[in-house]
Amino acid sequence: MIDPNIWIAFGSWYHIILDISLLLSIYLFFKLPKEKRANSTYWLPFLILCHFVVYQNFGAYTNYNFEFKKAVNAYLGNTENPKFNLWLYNITERQILTVLYLFLIRSWLEPSMKKYINWMIYSFVVIALILQITKVELMYTEQPVIFALGANMILIACGLYFIGLITNEKYLVSNPLRLLSFWTTTFLLFNYSLTYVSSVSLLYLYRVNPVLGKSLFQIGRVMGVINISALVLLIASAFLTKLFDREPLYESGR
Amino acid sequence: MNPADNQIYIIIFSTLFLGGLMSTFVVAMVFIHRQRQAQNRQKMDQMRAEFEKTIRNVEHEIHQETLTQVGRELHDNIGQLLSLTKLNLNSPKPEKQTEGREYLDKIIKEVRALSKTLNLDWLESVSLDDFIRQQLEKIQSTGFCQTALESDGSYLELSKDQKLVLIRVIQECLNNAIKHAQPDRIDIRIAKNNQSRRIEIQDDGAGFDPSKASTGSGMFNLKKRMETIGGKFYLTSEVGKGTHITLELPF
Repeated sequence: MIDPNIWIAFGSWYHIILDISLLLSIYLFFKLPKEKRANSTYWLPFLILCHFVVYQNFGAYTNYNFEFKKAVNAYLGNTENPKFNLWLYNITERQILTVLYLFLIRSWLEPSMKKYINWMIYSFVVIALILQITKVELMYTEQPVIFALGANMILIACGLYFIGLITNEKYLVSNPLRLLSFWTTTFLLFNYSLTYVSSVSLLYLYRVNPVLGKSLFQIGRVMGVINISALVLLIASAFLTKLFDREPLYESGR
Repeated sequence: MNPADNQIYIIIFSTLFLGGLMSTFVVAMVFIHRQRQAQNRQKMDQMRAEFEKTIRNVEHEIHQETLTQVGRELHDNIGQLLSLTKLNLNSPKPEKQTEGREYLDKIIKEVRALSKTLNLDWLESVSLDDFIRQQLEKIQSTGFCQTALESDGSYLELSKDQKLVLIRVIQECLNNAIKHAQPDRIDIRIAKNNQSRRIEIQDDGAGFDPSKASTGSGMFNLKKRMETIGGKFYLTSEVGKGTHITLELPF
């Protein structure tokens, strides 16, 4: 008989949508011709989506298997709050996902702007490592500085995309409303701006006003689903040529 | 209201403010994009009109140049041949009459060749290298100066418009050299590098001061023409030291 706790951990609307999105994107990705699968326009969103769904499910697993979560927390030195699984979200969401999103936005920029994203990625990785090695920000608890840094970098990268949109000749001849890069960047912009304050003050909110904390957390989940849908559409864009235009800076051999 | 409530209100307000700010930003960007798109479209239309005008002018000039050449040929070559034919045919000697008939054949060939140059279809069949070679041979055959062409064939593949503009620009450069520079030698070199292909026209004539306004406008026209086909025009010259012109076209 299936443990009812499995359903509690993995059966929320959020996880079901994410899992369906992953299955759909796997199907779509492997339906793509080989040369398109080798192109970052398609494999990068697929990689981000896989990463996102896998760590969300892993997060659900840590809630299901408390002993495992407790052991990891103890290994990291957190014996005070064994219920926390922030260590997972700190590494996968606040650090790796930020870098992956920066790479995704970078793929839509003209070469002259790509160097700014490269520098952002280098500095983000170095600063995040220094902050964690020096224990200024612990891995198992809130990391407001690393999150703020990553979110600001994503917002700046989105800004760079919009600058390219209004200055680059190739973007100027296209209709942004038919570009998936435009929608994905817009959703990222909303995701990071709407969750910015609540993410930085997450623990405080849960302590002072748990109802509001949960409500704001739900905003993050809704934005997460919207972003995942955008990623699925990016992978499916090769089949939706009537709905969406090809990216203006698309290179077939990338 | 306790401080915790205040902070919660600040969090909610900041979240809403950031959301509103981002919405305004995205809407503003779409609006600016639309505006710039319209400006860009206008600019493109203007450029296209300018390009078409340049091509029309170039075609007209090549036509004029061809007509001048045809007139010269009719007067200097065919006219002479016809006089000779008349003289020979009027002669009672049979060998002279045979010679006269040979001249007639030659005249027919010359007229056929001339008639072909009257429309611009010859441009399609001739390569840029062949055109330059013919122009240089013509200059050399007049005894005006020595010429040489060195080519790696990098201009063999060109669109009709590009070829038309290049032919006119080269023609103009050579005319300028003959009219104003009195050179002993004109050298043309065609070569390519990784990004572009180049035509270098070098003469050892009188040279001039390119900064003078009287010479500047002609050069400006040539530069503009090269720009309409996505190319570049460079000129260096010094009084007494000849002129060096580079025409550059990306791949």
